[in-house]
Amino acid sequence: MTELAVLPPDFAKEAAIMEKTWASKPGVIGWLSETGHKQIGLRYIVTAFLFFLAGGIEAALMRIQLLKPENHFLGPDAYNQIFTMHGSTMMFLFAVPIMEGFGVYLVPLMLGTHNVAFPKLNAFGYYIYLFGGLFLYTMFLLHAAPQAGWFSYVPLAGPQYSPGKGVDTWAQMITFTEVSGLVVAVELVVTTFKQRCPGMSLNRIPLFVWSMIVVSFMIIFAMPAVMIASGYLSLDRLVGTHLYNRSEGGDPLLYQHMFWFFGHPEVYIIFIPGLGFVSSILTAFTGRKIYGYTAMVSTLVVTAFLGFSVWVHHMFATGLPQLGESFFTAASLMIVLPTGVQIFCWIATIWSGRFRIATPVMYVIGFFLVFIVGGLTGVMLASIPIDWQVHDTYFVVAHFHYVLIGGALFPLFGAFHFWFPKWTGRMYSEVMGQISFWLLLIGFNVTFFPMHVLGLYGMPRRVYTYQPGMRWGNLNVLASAGAVFMALSVLTMIINFLVSRRAGRVAGANPWNADTLEWSLPSPPPVYNYLHVPTVSGLNAVWDAAPDQPYVTGMRFDRREILITRVLDAEPDHTEQLPGHSPWPFVLSCTMCIGLWGAIFFAWWFTIGAVLSGIALIGWFWPSDRELEDHILREKGELGGLELGMPEPVREEMP
Amino acid sequence: MTQRVLDVAALTEGTADSRSLIWWGNLAMLAIEGTMFAMAMATYLYLRSTNLDWPPSTVPKPDLLMPTINTVMLLLSCIPAFIIDRASITKNMLPIRICQALSIAVGLLFLYIQYAVMVPSLGYKWSSHAYGSVVWVIIGMHTLHMVAATGETALLFLYSLFKPVLKKHLLDFRCTAVYWYFVALVWVPFYFIIFIEPWMQRKGS
Repeated sequence: MTELAVLPPDFAKEAAIMEKTWASKPGVIGWLSETGHKQIGLRYIVTAFLFFLAGGIEAALMRIQLLKPENHFLGPDAYNQIFTMHGSTMMFLFAVPIMEGFGVYLVPLMLGTHNVAFPKLNAFGYYIYLFGGLFLYTMFLLHAAPQAGWFSYVPLAGPQYSPGKGVDTWAQMITFTEVSGLVVAVELVVTTFKQRCPGMSLNRIPLFVWSMIVVSFMIIFAMPAVMIASGYLSLDRLVGTHLYNRSEGGDPLLYQHMFWFFGHPEVYIIFIPGLGFVSSILTAFTGRKIYGYTAMVSTLVVTAFLGFSVWVHHMFATGLPQLGESFFTAASLMIVLPTGVQIFCWIATIWSGRFRIATPVMYVIGFFLVFIVGGLTGVMLASIPIDWQVHDTYFVVAHFHYVLIGGALFPLFGAFHFWFPKWTGRMYSEVMGQISFWLLLIGFNVTFFPMHVLGLYGMPRRVYTYQPGMRWGNLNVLASAGAVFMALSVLTMIINFLVSRRAGRVAGANPWNADTLEWSLPSPPPVYNYLHVPTVSGLNAVWDAAPDQPYVTGMRFDRREILITRVLDAEPDHTEQLPGHSPWPFVLSCTMCIGLWGAIFFAWWFTIGAVLSGIALIGWFWPSDRELEDHILREKGELGGLELGMPEPVREEMP
Repeated sequence: MTQRVLDVAALTEGTADSRSLIWWGNLAMLAIEGTMFAMAMATYLYLRSTNLDWPPSTVPKPDLLMPTINTVMLLLSCIPAFIIDRASITKNMLPIRICQALSIAVGLLFLYIQYAVMVPSLGYKWSSHAYGSVVWVIIGMHTLHMVAATGETALLFLYSLFKPVLKKHLLDFRCTAVYWYFVALVWVPFYFIIFIEPWMQRKGS
């Protein structure tokens, strides 16, 4: 079907029609009905960042409390609430959702499509996440915060030792955020496999998109476990089941198994998108194709599989059979292999490329330094004797902050700077960017490196204060001083972004000369993304494009029509219409709140919420007469013989 | 200047088969739900392994007749689901309507037997012991799925009586049929652990 044609005359007219087709609606109701992936993605990112600031303030309060021995800045109860809120916020309300937000924003752009596969579901996922987070913080402000730590182990979190509504609130927040995570995972899997632009076969998918696919599959198989685990916790607390009650045949360890069957993959769900950021940034800043693309993709997949077979290393101190522990030690040690392959591939990329330095790439280098240290202490912790020695001490706290801040936060901040021009159309200030980087790198190491030593000296985590004679004072002062630098770093970054958003230099379409498709669009991208669906002829779509690279024609501009391609080689297959605005995702998340929040106080609210949600779902799926007429018109004449076999493949000639 | 283009105007809009987005979304949802049921099964097996008295000696041997009839009926209901699936390919509405009505009847009857006959005869509650908790959790989870499958079928049935049936609705029929297979088949292992296992030699006895 490739044909030579003169450049179509009137792009402006087509663009105007597309603008109207995909436009946002005005007003509050329009805002609540929004289903565009860029809007929703940015909302995820902004919301998650605000939760990050809340979690950061909680961390600062803890550092003030630990500044000196026998401090009474926070009482024991307040301290318990604060560390629980800090951990829960950072894991469930910041780290996972912000990565999902990046996926929702970037994946359709990188694949050359107009929106995610299920736009209404996407909006629903955002609201359910937002409400889960707001609920937790509302209860916190009402002095009903959970106090049992971010993993809320039973029996501490059970009905006997945690009276009140705190743990129930925590358990419902888990349900909300996990539903949101699952929703995004399903969308991204389907979007990536079905909506890639022609020519983007599996071996031309950008590495960031691969990382999001791997993460999405991990979410699909990991998050149900924690929903069930926290669901059982709610049931034990609210309706008197005995799933975790030893005296009636239940088992507290069951909770730990199910929690960590989710919890360890969760760590990878947080840092694998970070690996995707690193690959994107390094490709742009070395000006070459990533070294070892196939190895990179396969090690991502291997990491995901291994990630499901190491959960027991969080439970070495529970007295499990030694043979089982040995197996999990071996599996935990094996994780270094795929990660090592990736790091060597990146080094080779830097080595053989034309390496340039700017803030995003500095964060990538920070990632190497910090993440490798965290990885090495991880290898130490995989060894059972060491694990027993330092279990529940600050050594573990140091380890996972090195892994998570190194593996996720550094690449994330790099990604903020890297895609800032794409979001806003303007450049950030390079000087401020580098200042914020150095503040973070120094502040982070000053805060968390001493914690290794504190842990080896025996300082336990989650204890609100310590005695003067323990000789932990100086190192704690150092750690608290480092936290000041980290706060200044984040502050610098926020000021940089807020100022540059208005006053920065105009960025243009591709300020980094990067390779993925979103950089072929104006910054910020138009509401419909691509006027014509693009085609690609290589892994680095922008760099490999021919001067007359074909684009797709024959699609409607006056409908939200998207091109569906085949799974393996992305040949055009058929078109589908995506739904437009809808208030129902918002309504459904409200009815779910009625059911799930209400159930904490009175079990029948669950049933009431379920019935209301059923009604909301009918509203969601019921087409309006206008939509129906439109469908009938479009289908006219073809209902007699539905084509269910494969149509003749479209021949395309790629250079 | 000339510009090469890839013209896709000849492609059809929408398909009612495994190439469509909804089909994939449905499969992903089943992967999630399947993991949930696997977790429920894992809970049962884990608690079984940590308890010496399992099922607890206070649990009576369950009556087998009605649960077995109910399970067989649920399995047989895959036949109308299959007919809905096949008839949707050719848009043959009569068998679709008959089988949808049949599915709704089976769904309601199954739920009625579960709650009016089977559950009262269990002899324990969710709060009796951990065994009771896990059995009730399983039954509750499956009930939610059964309600969803029956409700979805009923909604599509009512819709297709009053509104025109388009290609996208045929796709909905087919996806609902796949969902029905899932809900029916996933019950089978739970039938065995809830109703057959207590008849086998008790662990620890």
